[in-house]
Amino acid sequence: MRKAHDMSALVSEAGAVGTTAAAAHNLVKVYGKGDTAVRALDGINVAFQAGKFTAIMGPSGSGKSTLMHCLAGLDTVDSGAIHIGQTEITRLNDKDLTKLRRDRVGFVFQAFNLLPTLTAEQNILLGLELAGRKPDKQWFDTIVTVLGLRDRLTHRPTELSGGQQQRVACARALVARPEVIFADEPTGNLDSRSGAEVLDFLRMSVRKLGQTVIMVTHDPVAASYADRVVLLADGRLAGEIHQPTTESVVNALAHLGA
Amino acid sequence: MWKTILAGLRARTARLVLSSIAIALGVAFVTGTLVLGDAVGEQTRDNFARSARNVDAAVHLAENSTEQEKGIPADFLQKIRATSGVEGADSREFGRAALIGGDGKAKQALVQPLPTTEKLRDFNLKDGRFPTGADEIAVDSKTAQIAKLKVGDTLKLLGEGEAEHSYTIVGSYQQGASSLSMSGSDHLIVSPEGMRTLVPEQRIYEIVAVAKSGVSQQQLVDNITKTIGPGYQVQTGEELTKATLAQVGDAASEIKTFLLAFAAISLIVAGMVIYNTFTILVAQRTKELALLRCVGAERGQVFRSVLAEAVFMGLAASVLGFLGGIGVSAGLQSVISSFGGPSGGESEIRLPISWVTIAAAFGVGVVVTVLSAVLPARRATQVAPVAALRSQPDSSDDVARTGKIRIAVAAVIALLGGAGVYFGLQQQREEPALFITGGATMVLLLAVLLLGPLYVPLVNRLFGKALRGVPAKLASANAGRNPKRTAATTAALMIGVTIVAMVTVVAGSGRETMIKKVDERFPSDYAVSSSVYDQPLTQKFADELAKVRNVALVAPELRAFGESTKLEYADVTGYPSEALGSLVRPPLSEGTITGLKDGEIVMRDKEAQKAGVGVGSTVPISGKDFKVVGLIKDNSYGTGIVTLASAQSILKEPAKGYQNLLVKLAPGTDIAQARTDLERVIATSPVAVLNSAAETKAELNGQIDQILLFIWALVGLALIIALFGIANTLTLSVLERTRESALLRALGLTRGQLRQMLVVESILMALIGAVVGVLLGAGFGWLLVEAISNPEFQISFSIPFGQIGAMLGLAVVAAIIAAALPARRAARNSVVAGMAEA
Repeated sequence: MRKAHDMSALVSEAGAVGTTAAAAHNLVKVYGKGDTAVRALDGINVAFQAGKFTAIMGPSGSGKSTLMHCLAGLDTVDSGAIHIGQTEITRLNDKDLTKLRRDRVGFVFQAFNLLPTLTAEQNILLGLELAGRKPDKQWFDTIVTVLGLRDRLTHRPTELSGGQQQRVACARALVARPEVIFADEPTGNLDSRSGAEVLDFLRMSVRKLGQTVIMVTHDPVAASYADRVVLLADGRLAGEIHQPTTESVVNALAHLGA
Repeated sequence: MWKTILAGLRARTARLVLSSIAIALGVAFVTGTLVLGDAVGEQTRDNFARSARNVDAAVHLAENSTEQEKGIPADFLQKIRATSGVEGADSREFGRAALIGGDGKAKQALVQPLPTTEKLRDFNLKDGRFPTGADEIAVDSKTAQIAKLKVGDTLKLLGEGEAEHSYTIVGSYQQGASSLSMSGSDHLIVSPEGMRTLVPEQRIYEIVAVAKSGVSQQQLVDNITKTIGPGYQVQTGEELTKATLAQVGDAASEIKTFLLAFAAISLIVAGMVIYNTFTILVAQRTKELALLRCVGAERGQVFRSVLAEAVFMGLAASVLGFLGGIGVSAGLQSVISSFGGPSGGESEIRLPISWVTIAAAFGVGVVVTVLSAVLPARRATQVAPVAALRSQPDSSDDVARTGKIRIAVAAVIALLGGAGVYFGLQQQREEPALFITGGATMVLLLAVLLLGPLYVPLVNRLFGKALRGVPAKLASANAGRNPKRTAATTAALMIGVTIVAMVTVVAGSGRETMIKKVDERFPSDYAVSSSVYDQPLTQKFADELAKVRNVALVAPELRAFGESTKLEYADVTGYPSEALGSLVRPPLSEGTITGLKDGEIVMRDKEAQKAGVGVGSTVPISGKDFKVVGLIKDNSYGTGIVTLASAQSILKEPAKGYQNLLVKLAPGTDIAQARTDLERVIATSPVAVLNSAAETKAELNGQIDQILLFIWALVGLALIIALFGIANTLTLSVLERTRESALLRALGLTRGQLRQMLVVESILMALIGAVVGVLLGAGFGWLLVEAISNPEFQISFSIPFGQIGAMLGLAVVAAIIAAALPARRAARNSVVAGMAEA
């Protein structure tokens, strides 16, 4: 929590707590056809509050990754509706979806977050450049300082450690001030120390900066950083935990048979 | 292990298909080049040495034979036909007869009997059929065109003793270029019986024979020599071909050498495309190989599996490529012949397949594939399996800095090349200069290619600076991420473009050279002569001719008979001084003819010997002293050549007119139009007859053009292969960067932008190859032009900007096409599936 002090001074306009940042309604996603068809999402209804850190958990094959991909507009659904803010994204075509991802959503993936040809700075600013937006210099400096990337900006991904790479990915997600940041197992490839650092930053961006973060994880420790844990099993909602701790998450998962 | 190999082949179909295409293309290129090369060889042999076609043995009189007047004894033909090993034999002879044209004027024509052995006919039938009866005749297509004769017409010939013979035209034919056909006179073929009635006295100058299958040319020659005894020259068909080609000009042999060089280049380009594909492929397989090792496969087993796979792929793709190459060369030939020169109609599609072609095709296909697969696999298996498993599949990891060794090797090669160029430029003679310099430029090219990874990123960055927009910038970064790969990909194109640019630069001047050579043989385009000796062509008629449009110069020829104290006869030939050295250009052994002044003479060297004079001394003719300024090697022109004024001064009374008028057309004149124009004036004189070299020249130039077209076709082939190389690299890169593309799409790159990114990358690679190639090619072209030029024969160096611009444009268009499929593929991929790809 060394950085928390620096950040408290920089609390910007907080997201409107209480409104819904993303929501799924009767979501169905089927893989395959006929006998081999698998209902990855089987009529899910779930809403994610703005300004909150939500973790999606569940055993392997529960549909947690699929749910996130659909919410983020990365994948199509078979039926049901998804809203990001007021926009029903299930009605958008590929081009508009791309624009939505570019302008309103941020991503942190498990691995391979960065383009190997670009420097850390170029990677951070890539989304803004794609959108043709000018970066807010002050905001950029703030993020870079907070994430401790100042002297790493000219380095290429291959010259960065795994933790540093994930922090660059976080910076990229934050710099555009998106409505929602989706994080797909952001700590899955990291050692526990680097993982803790990344999770700290994500939590801080929610608490201090009013960011909305939705994270998929299978790690109860990671989930304990969230405000709320949504549990999935067999493509359905299987419960939720508010203010989770590692123990409460482990218990809940044990009940799901994971 | 076999199961793993087969499973591997099945699982990685897409990638294997791609690399198979690369191999097949490479093999197709080599096959196509060699087949085309052999086809060009056959074509030139057929055009320039048609009289040696199918001939296995040829009998001539010995050079110093006393029988020259009588020719080869007629009974030899029967003897040779009865000789063992002879399948068929024919005698060759020709006679002269006067052809009475539609205008009633008589013209000298050459008549040949039709060989009875079909294989030994040195003509290609164009229309109708060959004559069979004594009253039938076939006409050379050029003669038919000029004299406006067609099949079914009646034709009259004046034979010996002014006897008139009448024939029905049954066909027309095309003659190969030979010293006979290039003599400019009209040609006819009659049946052997017809020949005897027209020219009773037979004078055989050559007997040609075909061997039975299984009998070698040398065996046949030996048998025939035994049959006919000594005193005759018996040659193999191969020797005859060489002799004939040497007689016609050595253009054909130069082309053959050029084609061989090109085939070698095609081997290198093909090898590069294949090697490049495989390096990418194996780099991606490193993980898989490591996994195999982790589960207990021995290094040797892994190695053998890669080897077996490569052999299988190499063989399969080589078969496809081989067939494809034959198809491509057939296609290119049909394209060429559809817009070939004046003789375009006669070119047929030839597909000679030699053992060399087969060996080269499969050699490249299998050996290069195996090497390209095995070398990287060896490297891959030397890494500890776990380390290999951990490494990212992205090839930017193995971007090695251009090693010092590479630079040193390139420097040594460049030095060698530079020395070669220097040595080549020192050569006085045209041919060695051309070959040494040409070879040396290829060595320099090799050095430049080796240094590719060094300057390709620089050029890429230079181009990248000009680019705007995120996709274009990403493209530039992608093109620069693996300098070795980009360099290798662009290298194939670079070679192709270098050769094109070089050929474009040299071909222009090369064509000039060849046209000049033809010009030397036929300095004038037309000769107008009088058919009646006592009625020479008047000065007024000459003036009328000079007024005809597109006529650049009319040079009258005046024979003047004088006396000399030093010579038995002293008949000189006079020409206007402006025609000397241009229209009149006899081979000289000494001195010069250009700028001959009144009172000077260029003497025939034999005459000079008789008179006991040399250059610098004087010879008296009809009371005047002529200063000898040069010596002629030729046998015409009487005692020698003087100016027109000098010739007139020798005559006792002023000349009534001229026996001969030489006509030169302005460069680039349409021959058919010029002939119509000239004929209008000629019709006004009852005695004037038009003899032509122009049509012969046009035909020869057409053949040169056709050969140049062939070379262009080869170069086109190289470009196509190189662009497929780009497409292939790009496709593999797209496969390799699936996750990256998905990430970009997730971050907000639209499908269109993703496609744009790949297209720009493709254009960048094409432009790097093309621009460097053009620069190299122009430079090498300049060196070559410098090498061929000598004080007597200057070729001016010029860069055909239009053609080179078109070439760069084509490269860009082709790059866009090359990127089309990979871009489509990349854009279609789903983001989620892409991110999941390991």
